[in-house]
Amino acid sequence: MALNGTEVDDFSWEPPTEAETKVLQARRERQNRISSLMGDYLLRGYRMLGDTCADCGTILLQNKQRQIYCVACQELDSDVDKDNPALNAQAALSQAREHQLASAPDLPSGTRPAPQPPVPRPEHCEGAAAGLKAAQGPAPPAGPPNADVMASTREALLQKLAWASAELGSSASLEASIQLCGLIRACAEALQSLQQLQH
Amino acid sequence: MAAEGAVKAALQVAQALETIVSGCVGPEGRQVLCTKPTGEVLLSRDGGRLLAALHLEHPLARVMVACISSHLRKTGDGAKTFIIFLCHLLRGLEAVADKEKDSLISKNIQTHGRYWKTCCRWKFISQALLTFQTQILDCVVDRYLRRHFLSIFSSPTKERSLCRSSFKLLLEAYFGGRVGRNNHSFISQLMCDYFFKCMACESGLEEAFELVDDCFGELSVGVTGLPVSDSRILAGLVLHRDFSVYCPAGGDIRTALVTETIQPLFTTSGSEFILNSEAQFQTSQLWIMERTKAIMKSLQNHNVKLLLSSVKQPDLVIYYAELNGVSVVECLSSEEISLIQRITGLSPLVLPQASSQYEISSTALVKFYKPLVLRSKRYVHLGLISTCSFIPHCIVLCGPVQGLVEQHEAALHGAFKMLRQLFKDLDLSYLTQTSDQNYVPSPLIYKNRESNQLADTVNGSIQRPHQDPVEKNEGELAKTHTYLKVYSNSVVPSVELETHIFRSTPKVTPAGTQQTDEALRCLSANKTRIMDDHDLFIDGDPTTESTAENTRIEASYENVSITKMGGKGSMLPVRCKSLEMGTSQSYCFSSISAGCVLPVGGHFEILLHYYLLNYVKKCQQSEAIMVGTIIANALLGIPKILYKSKRGNQSFPQVYVRALHTLQTNQPMVGSQTGLESVSGKYQLLTSVLQCLAKIVTIDLVISIKRQPQEVYDQESEEEL
Repeated sequence: MALNGTEVDDFSWEPPTEAETKVLQARRERQNRISSLMGDYLLRGYRMLGDTCADCGTILLQNKQRQIYCVACQELDSDVDKDNPALNAQAALSQAREHQLASAPDLPSGTRPAPQPPVPRPEHCEGAAAGLKAAQGPAPPAGPPNADVMASTREALLQKLAWASAELGSSASLEASIQLCGLIRACAEALQSLQQLQH
Repeated sequence: MAAEGAVKAALQVAQALETIVSGCVGPEGRQVLCTKPTGEVLLSRDGGRLLAALHLEHPLARVMVACISSHLRKTGDGAKTFIIFLCHLLRGLEAVADKEKDSLISKNIQTHGRYWKTCCRWKFISQALLTFQTQILDCVVDRYLRRHFLSIFSSPTKERSLCRSSFKLLLEAYFGGRVGRNNHSFISQLMCDYFFKCMACESGLEEAFELVDDCFGELSVGVTGLPVSDSRILAGLVLHRDFSVYCPAGGDIRTALVTETIQPLFTTSGSEFILNSEAQFQTSQLWIMERTKAIMKSLQNHNVKLLLSSVKQPDLVIYYAELNGVSVVECLSSEEISLIQRITGLSPLVLPQASSQYEISSTALVKFYKPLVLRSKRYVHLGLISTCSFIPHCIVLCGPVQGLVEQHEAALHGAFKMLRQLFKDLDLSYLTQTSDQNYVPSPLIYKNRESNQLADTVNGSIQRPHQDPVEKNEGELAKTHTYLKVYSNSVVPSVELETHIFRSTPKVTPAGTQQTDEALRCLSANKTRIMDDHDLFIDGDPTTESTAENTRIEASYENVSITKMGGKGSMLPVRCKSLEMGTSQSYCFSSISAGCVLPVGGHFEILLHYYLLNYVKKCQQSEAIMVGTIIANALLGIPKILYKSKRGNQSFPQVYVRALHTLQTNQPMVGSQTGLESVSGKYQLLTSVLQCLAKIVTIDLVISIKRQPQEVYDQESEEEL
């Protein structure tokens, strides 16, 4: 619907895809929950301030003891965090798959720069690292091979391989298993390239 | 972006408020328990009270609550519906904004330019909303909704009498959404009785309503500690004071009103009183005593048995009053005094300065006066004889706690406001596109009394046409020029108008197309004049169907007079020619007549939604389409909430589909719930919401300051919401 006359191109708007619809739905439900919580607190005598929370943008409330309270941050899970691949394994997997689908005809030749995450939560680190590794694909080694470097790299790779296989054995989720298999393959390929370097 | 932020923030606020009010809206709604910041607990279903009790510091929240309060002060109804509707509109606008944002972001524009583009877009949307409200809404309501209106009057003619059962249904629906379920039928019955006791004749209703609305606090007495069912109506007036002196009397009783002390003072303010000796002082005192005695004696001679005073009278006056058998009530509030003045036409007593004149001029007859004891407080029960159309009665409202009494009082007051709006005609005006040849005017009925908007702004005098095939007696009309400007709701830009003013002669042939030829050309004025509305406009029957009828009007201004000649629908089509456009448009005037009601249960919303969507389909302008669609979709939010708890055949989708079907097949709509609601109330609510939304949408920046700015008369002060 053109409001500015000829400047907005009507034909460039497409209806939202299924994924986007789901996101919209989830966002709407989250908003409804926030609103009902806020309404409850207002009825209990909390004051609705004119400021918004720095993290999530929800309106802040203040109780009678003059403590500031954000309904979303302190009661609901964050909405944005679960979409951040550095903080959530699922998001990392979905991003990885999207990248693979997008780049299926042409394989990545160079290293792709990983997205810089903000301070990650400790419990999501493993998943993040795994996701990043899967997104990156096999990276060719750069620089002259150093024996110590090689040894430590090899050790790290073997450690990761061992951990991944242990995780794979105990994993119940399909996504995690796929991810772990990808990690194992990447580790094996890295080891192979390391061996090639050594010789 | 700041402007988008305003809509997003407003949406958050509105959603939070919506969750609060949606629980208590409608007849199925429940009471809401609210803790005020002072620690008191409020249990209520009244939207206005709840919103006022919340502690809101957010500027947009305060804007919304202020809009709602001012709407309630005028109409007495619709706070919860306001919030729900506003919330849905904001959601619709945000959805449009999101869609637009994607296409905007894809453009490679500078941030600054984009910011201004966004701001301008919101201003554009706000303007589109206001244009919609002033033009399209009126048009749709007048043309399409009119045929669905019911009336609480039993006959649509001039001598209309109120239909009691419809009136009861109206009040029950009103109180059903506002007062607790256990009390609402009692309160609506109380209100119904009070109305019929107070309003004697049907003609002076407006004046009576105004009186009740202004002075409702004085017309009701609250008593705590008694059950609600003890509430009753008393004939006469109950003053919130007790007698200082009570001397019962019978027969011919008169009362006088005083606003100053009867005992003369030593000196008036601003002058000096010089005493030289004790003897002088004694003489002065003696003189004062004699004067007071004389005045009280003369009061008795005039049969004034009751003295109503707004100030405290000194002991001497009380003593002489008791001696002479005059009852005195002191320290009445100014509101009570003005109420008594309005009812009886009594003016305060002017005490004569000179000692010889003791003529008491203004007194009024009363039927009775006696003390009234309610619980432990004493009041004065006064039986006044009314000179206006309002027969004074008082409501004694009982309740177990003060809060409940206050709520019932507020609900009754709101009901009177709502009735006051219902019994008034509501003007509608809109532009219609007309082609010159096939002009078929819709019935334009214009009430004499309500033509303020035109009368205030119409300047000019009429020019007779050069070529007018109908005009035969050309010499009679004064040859003056006309330049008319019409403003409506202060949004529509002023346009130059050409008025059709028809001169009737016996030879005028009735033909619809004739009217288009009889155009008076308006030229710019050499001299301007105010046109009297009653010279120009005709009273007509507002409920007739639209047909193309010939208007024979004898137009006169100065030498020209207008009278209605024939036909049921009389009209005054005013042809507008805007300077920018070449097409000619017709300005139509109409009204929602007094007493128009619709069944409850979302009828108004569903009807308007349907007709609005139909109208939008035929519309060409994109912003009108956008605004119309948003509003039509938002309107459905209200019946959705009303039918939220129903299942099966009575659930909202079923009701909606049935309603659509009946509308498409042109059958009369049947309401499932008993109860009526006022159409003008709904219409006014809609316009209030659109105005509030237009204000909110154009907020670009919120600046918080610590203190109120002082009164600075230069234009550079920052504005705070």
